[in-house]
Amino acid sequence: MTLIDVAGATEDRSPLTEAQAGLWYVQKIDPDNPILNASQYVELKGELDLALFRRAFETMVDEAECLSLVFEETAFGPAQRRDMSTRPALTVVDLTAAADPMAEALEAMAKDTATAVDLAKGPVSAFVLYQLSDSHCLWYERIHHLAIDGYGIVLVTNRVGEIYSALKTGATPSPSFAPISAAIAEDQAYLTGERREKDREFWKNALSRLPEVASLASGRAVSGHTFHRKTTHLPASLFEALTARAQALNVTWPDLLTVLVASYCRRFAAAPEIVVGLPFMGRLGSKAARVPCTLMNVLPVRFSDLENLSLQEAAVEGARTLMACRRHGRYRSEQLRRDLGLIGGQRRLFGPLVNIQPFDMPPAFAGLDVTLHILGAGAVDDITFTFRGDAKTKLMMEVDSNPALYSAADTAAHADRLFAYLEAAVSAKRLADVPLASPSEVQRYLFDANATAHAVPEVTLVDLIERSMRETPAAPAVSFGPEVLSYAELDRRSRALTEQLTGLGAGGDSVVAVALPRSLDLVVALFAILRAGAAYLPLDTQHPKERIGRILASAKPVAVLAGLEDGHLFEQTILPPEDWQRDPIGTTLTPPEPGNLAYVIYTSGSTGEPKGVMIEHRAIVNRLEWMREHYGFGPDDRILQKTPATFDVSVWEFFLPALSGATLIVAPPDAHRDPQAIARLIREEAITTLHFVPSMLSAFLAAPESEGLQVHRVFCSGEELTPDQRDRFHQRIAGELHNLYGPTEAAVDVSFWPAGRDDRSAPLPIGFPVWNTSLYVLDDNHLPVPPGVAGHLFLGGVQLARGYLGREDLTADRFLADPFRPGGRIYRTGDLARLREDGAVVFLGRSDHQVKIRGLRIELGEIEAAVMASGLVREAVVIAREGRAGDKRIVAYVVAAPDFDGDALKAAIRARLPDYMLPSAILRLEELPVTANGKLDRAALPAPHLELGGGRPAETPSEKLLSRLYHDLLGLESLPDAEADFFCLGGDSLLAVHLVLRIKEETGRDPGLGAIFEQPAIAALAAVLDRAEIDHGLGPIIRLADGDARRAPLFLIHPAGGISWGYRHLARALGGVRTVYGLQSPALDPHEALPDSLEVLAQTYVDRMVETWPSGPYHVAGWSVGGILAQAMAAELEARGLATGVIAMLDSYPCECWRAEPEPDQTAALRALLAIAGHDPEAHPELTTRAAITTFLRKGKSPLGSLPDAALDGVIRVVLDTNRLVRGHYHRRFGGTVIHVRAALDHQGRGLTPQLWDPHVGAIDRIDVPFLHPQLTSPDATAQIAPELARRLQPFDRSEDT
Amino acid sequence: MTITLERMRADVAAMIHEAPEDVGLDDNLMDLGLDSMRLMNLILAWQEAGVDLDFGSFAEEFTLSGWWRAIEAKRAQG
Repeated sequence: MTLIDVAGATEDRSPLTEAQAGLWYVQKIDPDNPILNASQYVELKGELDLALFRRAFETMVDEAECLSLVFEETAFGPAQRRDMSTRPALTVVDLTAAADPMAEALEAMAKDTATAVDLAKGPVSAFVLYQLSDSHCLWYERIHHLAIDGYGIVLVTNRVGEIYSALKTGATPSPSFAPISAAIAEDQAYLTGERREKDREFWKNALSRLPEVASLASGRAVSGHTFHRKTTHLPASLFEALTARAQALNVTWPDLLTVLVASYCRRFAAAPEIVVGLPFMGRLGSKAARVPCTLMNVLPVRFSDLENLSLQEAAVEGARTLMACRRHGRYRSEQLRRDLGLIGGQRRLFGPLVNIQPFDMPPAFAGLDVTLHILGAGAVDDITFTFRGDAKTKLMMEVDSNPALYSAADTAAHADRLFAYLEAAVSAKRLADVPLASPSEVQRYLFDANATAHAVPEVTLVDLIERSMRETPAAPAVSFGPEVLSYAELDRRSRALTEQLTGLGAGGDSVVAVALPRSLDLVVALFAILRAGAAYLPLDTQHPKERIGRILASAKPVAVLAGLEDGHLFEQTILPPEDWQRDPIGTTLTPPEPGNLAYVIYTSGSTGEPKGVMIEHRAIVNRLEWMREHYGFGPDDRILQKTPATFDVSVWEFFLPALSGATLIVAPPDAHRDPQAIARLIREEAITTLHFVPSMLSAFLAAPESEGLQVHRVFCSGEELTPDQRDRFHQRIAGELHNLYGPTEAAVDVSFWPAGRDDRSAPLPIGFPVWNTSLYVLDDNHLPVPPGVAGHLFLGGVQLARGYLGREDLTADRFLADPFRPGGRIYRTGDLARLREDGAVVFLGRSDHQVKIRGLRIELGEIEAAVMASGLVREAVVIAREGRAGDKRIVAYVVAAPDFDGDALKAAIRARLPDYMLPSAILRLEELPVTANGKLDRAALPAPHLELGGGRPAETPSEKLLSRLYHDLLGLESLPDAEADFFCLGGDSLLAVHLVLRIKEETGRDPGLGAIFEQPAIAALAAVLDRAEIDHGLGPIIRLADGDARRAPLFLIHPAGGISWGYRHLARALGGVRTVYGLQSPALDPHEALPDSLEVLAQTYVDRMVETWPSGPYHVAGWSVGGILAQAMAAELEARGLATGVIAMLDSYPCECWRAEPEPDQTAALRALLAIAGHDPEAHPELTTRAAITTFLRKGKSPLGSLPDAALDGVIRVVLDTNRLVRGHYHRRFGGTVIHVRAALDHQGRGLTPQLWDPHVGAIDRIDVPFLHPQLTSPDATAQIAPELARRLQPFDRSEDT
Repeated sequence: MTITLERMRADVAAMIHEAPEDVGLDDNLMDLGLDSMRLMNLILAWQEAGVDLDFGSFAEEFTLSGWWRAIEAKRAQG
């Protein structure tokens, strides 16, 4: 080998080319992997002259230096050397006597190909001639890819044929191969040349803003030792059509084929762009064109959506892209990965490989009939589509895939589907018209899976209800607390009201509004409205009057059935239950027809206007009859009604019992939010069937009362049911669990999935269509997609709504003609879904801005409209931020108008929207971020919280465990690193409790809740776990936030409960710069004596501060009683001659104010605990005793409830003692300045002002914030208070830093 | 029909949608958009017309004048 003048080169050794280097590392990482063995055999039929063959072979081996290379590691990196001791010889194996010579030969080849080569030892190549008979030989070649690429193999193979033929015929063979040094010299010249710079520029541009590379399967694309292969011989007709179309479009057929395959891949990946890798020989115009060696490059070619162009435009644009890429094709893709930072992990440059070999012709051996068989062509990282043509009529397709990412069945399915796609695409006007699903998939998933025709009688809900009334008059129909109505009584009472409503004009397709709480009256009202032939319109009296008014103006009900107490909500006269007719007088009634409306339910509308969904009897009868028969409901069933009537799930709760002769159990108003109440109802009322929105099911399963319940069937719908919820359900409850799915626009539910004990599906499907219903998963052009591909979910069939009341425009937008079943309609759900192989549908999310929070449908557009309608902002955008699984928060971003006022804005929104639609945060921005093309840049909207960490990965077993738990609990996308902070990632105290429970489950160790607050970072918490320290967070001093240890820390003093956990938000906001400590009452430890006085307590606290931070200055702050303590501590510091820093009180007032108030009783003090635990005391008036309150706290999920008994006793003791301390305290004067943060919205008429402190402090620095006293430690208040405190802390830092 | 330099130039020009006069004898044909697929098609046609050169010979030097030199050398040899 000729000497090359580069670093590391010696007499006989040269460095690897760029192309080789990448492969060398692949082999180095996995030395036993044989996948880089390129192998093939040439089948020779006819009389082979073995002597000539040997001569030809030997000549070729002399010319082809690469066949005797060895690869070694040197100080300059890997290097190659020609080692003549590894020069390959031709082995001849005589199999003529074998029983099955062909099989033996193939087996021997397969075995050799599957054996990894030792690159340092060699030989890197092997050649065997298997003689099967006198006229039949197989010439096997195997060469490592580091020595040769595909083009090189063709060169060496053809060379043997050429020399053999020349020897045979006397012709002159063409000149010998060029030396490998020529290729290496060119490679080195390119490395330092100008052309490389130009090429780099080209690729940098071509791949700028590259999104994460998509492929046909997700997972880590690293080649294994083997691959799946599915070979398809494409029919000549397809090849003819392809070449003819390419000619008509004026592009080459390989370019057209590349465009078609890329289109298939992009559509299957359901990604806006796909980058396919194209193997590129990289030798045109180069000496290396005559050098067998490894130079091949893979070009990353980027294809975006070309499908909506005409095929003409798509092909021309694709061909232009391909030409440009080829011109710059010498630039190595390995280098490009380094340039783009796409090294390591799952980062990659391209997805599928598309390898088109148009001239895949066998070598010519004079006098012999020759065919070529490729065995292995290199690594299969992901999936490779290879097309081999013979330049004439044949085209063979090989789909090779990585078994770690694809099954053999997936691989075959891709081959079949791509074949069908190509067949249709070559004659298509545009690719968008070609369905991605193959004809057989369309038949199976679009037609067979939706063959749900089932005879349902042409009756109305009224016919079915009245049948039960006739057949079982004495049976209990409805029960509400102690009251029970038999079917006969329900008949009588509803009929009486029906007569009355008929008199008011209720009849076919008219609307009667109902705004009643859950009660017997509500059930009577619904039945009566239906029997009058009218449709009922449920309203929620909790909604703002304005919204109710807009709904009624659109629905124009003939009557409003509402309670007298809610009369003020309505403009029109209401008909309260007091005025209902009690007994029928026998008026003739006109029952509805199946085509009449049964109900109208309003849902959130994106334009800001709620929209009324009109459901006909025919639709809901289908839904209810399916449910009754499918699940076998009968007279013994007792079905719980707990869903608000405004949510369409309530429809089956209300009417399914009457269809089945069963009993309807009406839950008390508001019971649906209370797990205890629900569990009690199930036990006491022997409920057989009930419904949960999954998030409520989760809460229910977390409540102690749900343990061991037995209930025949539980139905979930309204949001995604997770596998975790399913599994927890079956751990706690004996019964069936069913997942249902459907929008209001399709009569409650259209699909079902039995989420049984043995179901292992993850994600959990929404399942299969109900009777007379179809589910379509279609792409953007409304064409069917195959299983595994995300698409839009469309619904068809009898259950579809008539449309939106009075909104033909919206109806036309969402209800379309069924393209697959003439005469039918389909509804565009706006949901994204994919099909499983078994035909079950999996819900993937929304394609628009609709979100669901606790199962309630919310159009963000409606919230935006409400924000804009305030007139206080110039621009607004509302998004749902997902911090962790199942926890979405509505965040509004506004650009203020001149007269902006945050409180006025909140009030304006509150007047228009129901509570569940109110934003949990409103962020004021100078302007809304936009992308380059002027669209709102959602990704650039600031998060209300910091969301991600970044650091070393979790390593120790404890760190790994915590990383997994954080991931699971917080719904993170990836495993958090060792530095990740539980609270920064969206954790709150409730989740911290769950975390403690999970840690306990997994390790048997209880770190205590305090540890989570003190050490929320994974590494730190893991260290605590490993030390098995147990801390309930009740120590006298806890570290609330870490910070710069050189700066004076901030001490936050506990409020009345003695605990300083509540300062978590404030501590986080002020931490980092400095450490923030929380001081807690020593009396939390029941073994400690109660302090004598507040003064003594303050002295103890100053001692503790000095122990922690000996030199001052001392920054002290506290909320409520904590502020009183802060002032007392400041006075003590001053008395001791210690430097005070910032002394701040959050809404604290001097003790004399409290002495003037009447002495609170024990109960009031105890109830304060509820507030400390995060509950609203007003919501639980029944909790008046210590026992009741502790039991309540124990059952709930608040951090307090999880404390051990002794610790909870400690808290109660501190709470009860606080009043004594405050009343017994007389202030000492502190001469310095005290910062007073006042809860400006509170204390109206009580005269509590900062000036009250005047006698006790030197000066007051006043800050007013628009919150109530209890809100001052909330995240929202912290956002305003922390910057003010930080600004005042800063001057002290400056003097310290110098 | 024997192959001539002018015919080769015309064939190359047609393949890359240019006028023959726009294809310089010393132009790097890769820069003009000729790729291996198109080259292979040309070679197949020229082989039918009696040119006895393989792909490697054409690929090595990527200009019309280079190809013509190779063809002449081969003719002189054979």
